[in-house]
Order: sequence, then C-alpha cells, then structure tokens
Amino acid sequence: MTSSAGPAEAVVRGAGAIRARPRAVLTSRLGEYAGFSPVLVLFGGFFFAPLVLIVAYSFWQVVDYNVVQSWTLDNYRYFLSVPTYVRTFIATLWMTALATVLTIGIAFPFAYWLTRYVSRSWQRPLLLLVIIPFWTSYLLRVASWITILGEGGVLNRTLEALGLIHQPLSFLLYNRWAVIFVLVYLYFPFAALTLFSALERFDWNQLKAAMDLGAPPLTAIWRIMLPQIRPGVITAVIFVFIPILGEYLTPQLVGGVDGVMIGNLVVNFFVGAQYTRGAAIALLITAIAVAMLILFRRSLVLEQVYGR
Amino acid sequence: MAAENADVVARHRRVVRAGLGAWAVLIYAFLFVPIALLMLFSFNANRYGTFPITGWTLHWYEEALSNYQIQDAVQTSLQVALEVTVISTVVGTAAAFPLVRSRLPFRGGIRASLTLPILIPGLLIGVALLSYFTNLFNLQLSIQTAVIGQAVYATPFVILVVASRLEGFDRLLERAASDLGADTWKRLRYIVLPLIGPAVVAGALFAFTLSLDEFIITLFLIGGHNTLPIYIYTQVKFGITPEVNAVATMLIAASLSVSLLAFATPALGRLARRRLRTAWSVMGSDRTA
Repeated sequence: MTSSAGPAEAVVRGAGAIRARPRAVLTSRLGEYAGFSPVLVLFGGFFFAPLVLIVAYSFWQVVDYNVVQSWTLDNYRYFLSVPTYVRTFIATLWMTALATVLTIGIAFPFAYWLTRYVSRSWQRPLLLLVIIPFWTSYLLRVASWITILGEGGVLNRTLEALGLIHQPLSFLLYNRWAVIFVLVYLYFPFAALTLFSALERFDWNQLKAAMDLGAPPLTAIWRIMLPQIRPGVITAVIFVFIPILGEYLTPQLVGGVDGVMIGNLVVNFFVGAQYTRGAAIALLITAIAVAMLILFRRSLVLEQVYGR
Repeated sequence: MAAENADVVARHRRVVRAGLGAWAVLIYAFLFVPIALLMLFSFNANRYGTFPITGWTLHWYEEALSNYQIQDAVQTSLQVALEVTVISTVVGTAAAFPLVRSRLPFRGGIRASLTLPILIPGLLIGVALLSYFTNLFNLQLSIQTAVIGQAVYATPFVILVVASRLEGFDRLLERAASDLGADTWKRLRYIVLPLIGPAVVAGALFAFTLSLDEFIITLFLIGGHNTLPIYIYTQVKFGITPEVNAVATMLIAASLSVSLLAFATPALGRLARRRLRTAWSVMGSDRTA
C-alpha cells in the first residue's frame, strides 16, 4: 500500500512530521501498535506458550502417567525404533504427496476451463458451486463416502442391482487408497480456488503468442503459463499438503487398520496418556510443515486463498 | 494452406474445450453426489441409510429433532461458535490495523507468526493446548477451553480478510477527515468502519462457520461436552444412521441459507439504499414543487 502512495500523501506526511512534537510521536507510535495487544495475549498465552510446552514435552518423559522433567531424546528414539511407526510415517509422506499431486492435477484443468472458456458473468457462480461443499460439514463429507463405498453402500448395491457383481466389493473402503481418494475430494475446493485466482490474473495473450510462434499447447502451458502462476500453484500445494499431513479424521473413518496416518498415532498416544511420545511425533509433522513454509515463503500468497 | 491450418487449429480448440467442459461436469458430479445422497437417504424409510429406497418418510427428522443429545450438541455448538466469533473478530480486526498500517520492523515475520495457527496442522494446536491446560495448569476441560482453542484457529482468518481490505484503503480519506476537524473516534465511526465493515462482517461469518465445523481441536479440548461435529463423530464411527442424515440435511440447509444471506446482504443493502435515495429525491422534488 505504501508503494502506491502518491506525492500528495508524502507532502501531507511531511507536514504532519513537522507539526508533531517528539512526545506526541512516541505516544502515537505506541498507539499504532496497541491493536496488537489482544492478539499478543491470545496467541502468546494460548498458542506460542503451549507450543513451547509441547517442544519441551517431546524431550521429557512420562513416568506413572505423570510428565517428568528429565531431558532425554528417548521419545524420538522410541519412535524410530518401532518399525510400524516408521512405516506409518513413510506411508503418510507418500500418501500426502500423492493426494496433493492428484488434487492439483484434477483442479488445474478445471481452473483452466473456468478462466479460459467460461464467460465472465458465469465464472463467479460456478466457482461458488465449488465452494459450497465447504459449507457442509467436513465430517459429513468424509462420512458420506462410507455410505457410498461401504460393503452395503450405494456403489455396491447399484452394481449388484445391475448384475455386474454378485458379492460386494470390499476393497473400496478401509485402505490407503480410500483415504487418498477422500482426501482429494476434501481438498479439491482449496486447490481450485487458489489456482483460479492465479489464472484469473494471467494474460492469456501470452499463451496465444507462444502458440502462434509454434509452441505446442502443452509446451506453451508448461513454459509460458506455469512460471507466471507459480506462486499460485505453490500456495495451492502448501495449502493442500500441510493439512493432509496432519489429517486424523479421514484415515480414522475410511482408512481402517491399513490406512493409518501419523495423525492417528499422535491422537492414540495422547489418548493413552503417553504425552511426551505423542508430542515428539506431532513435532515431527510440524517440522516438515514449517520447513515447507520456510522453503516456499516467497511464493506464498495467503490473500489469494482467503483475502476475498 | 493457412486457412486449412486455421481450420485444424479451430477444430483442435473445440475438442479441447469440449474435453475440459466434460471434465468440469465430472468434477461437479464428484463434488455433489455424496452430499445429494446424504440428503436423499434422510428421506428414505430404509434404516440402513443406503439403497434401496423403501419408501419416503420424515420420520428421521422427527427422531433427530426430538433427540436430546442432538439438541444439546446444537446448543453447545452455537454457544461455542458465538463466543469464538466475538473473540476472533475483535482480536483479528484490532491486529489487522497495525499489521497493515504501522511502520513495522520484521513485518514479514510478524505476519507469518500471526498466520501460523492456520499454517500448521490443527492437530498440534489441539494437543499443545490439551497439555497446557490439563497438565500444566490442572484445568478441567470445558466449553471454554474449546472456545480458546478454536479462537486461536479462527483469528488468523479474520486478520487476513480485514488486512486485505485495509490494504486497498485510501488513507488520504482519513487525512482529509482529520483536516476537516474529525477526531479519532469520528474518523473511525464515519470513515474507517463503513469502509472495512463488509470485511469485518465477512471475517466474523468466516469465524462462525469455521467454528461450527471445527473438529480436531474441539475433540481434544471440549472434555465431556459434545459439539455437533463431535456428536456426529461418535455416531458415524458405527456407520451413518438415517438420523444423522437428517441432521446433515438440516445442517446443509442452515449453512447454505446463512451463506446465501451473507452474499445477498450487500446486494440487498445496496438495493435498499438505492430505493431510499430514490424515495428521498422524489420526496425532495415534491417539497420543492
């Protein structure tokens, strides 16, 4: 906003600075920051302090259901020493990555279609339709897939009625693929929204020019369009990847025994009063999330997702 | 030759266009079929919540509405959502001002830490606050602890919405008001609030809907109480019942009407103002006549 300040404002500012006395400047400076005080209390007291505690927890120990302050790396060591946990951790990583790629891959052609081939007056209503599932309960959107994919579910009943199968298909639910499928369903609107606002600002003439100069369409998209909408794509990736990494509900409801993700482990540890071990695993997820945020911080455009 | 080429290109474009259109149709089906089925089964007499349709009934709605646990959960949900909305809107709006307007050192860092609660997995907020409340302070989990957890999560959204509105705000308007003798309160009341009002309302609605739907933080922090998502969770663990389908349908209807209202309000407001203005000018012209 300051970059767009015209000379007029500079003049006004200059005049203000001359008039103002030092003490007035000081109090007004303090007054400027006063707006931060409620958030300082809320986040300082109930976000950052608990975070510090959980970091400390991950290096402490539970003895007889009580957390004892003896510094150790045992929680992390324990996690790495149990093969099931390590396998779950690795599975979580590839499931999250795959679900993210699929979500973006499905959303990109859609966003492309919406910005390129739909008239301006229809773009907003059609986008709104994509967001409507957001306003229905997240929990119910997961649960509805049990109704569809379960053994007595809609899909099996329909296939049976059509005579295509004689026994219900049981592989549709309670495995990793079911989890990935439902995750794609859940996070599609995020990706579509972000990609749409990135593409909306793209100058389509450039794509046309590239193709006029002989570039095949996919090459033109890859080399001309993608570099320009990169921040939007990265924002979409991050906003799909990070929440999925910490998913609990989806694997819990449609994953069964095989579809467990790291979030389920965290919850199980906390439910079982093994707070310090749970803390270590939770921090592992968070470390990955924070690393991604730092890595891509320059490209992150939060306003594209929420600021409208 | 060139014309032929153009013809090929045109045909190619039509194919791509049709293909992408079909893709979009598939996506809309993918998005809405599960929701439509939920609603369909809420009217189905079949008590297993699946095909076949054995008859149409409103029985499940009666059951749901007279279910004490559901009533209690709805009440808790609304109470939590209202408290979260008030806290997040006040805290978030207040923070948006210095974030956008003051000369901040480390603006990027401050911005990042203010949005951090929504950038890290919600699970972490849940477990961190759980340990903090119960182990460190020996607090009893309650509706209030859940409200605090949700407020931490909802506030960044309000900050983002209000801040992005403030960024497009022409500060010269305030300077002008100030030069014309308006004090801080008057500037706030007559210049700033009318301009950022819609963003504050949008942020509040955002916080409200987020709170109603929040699951993982609430699961850890609400103790023995149930919000609606927590109640539904305890039910669907053993398969969806038609009763839950009925609740789901009512929930969808409610959130759709709130959202439509949110979208319609600015338009309706404009319409009303225009009508008033027209009426006023007509009256004015009457008077002069």
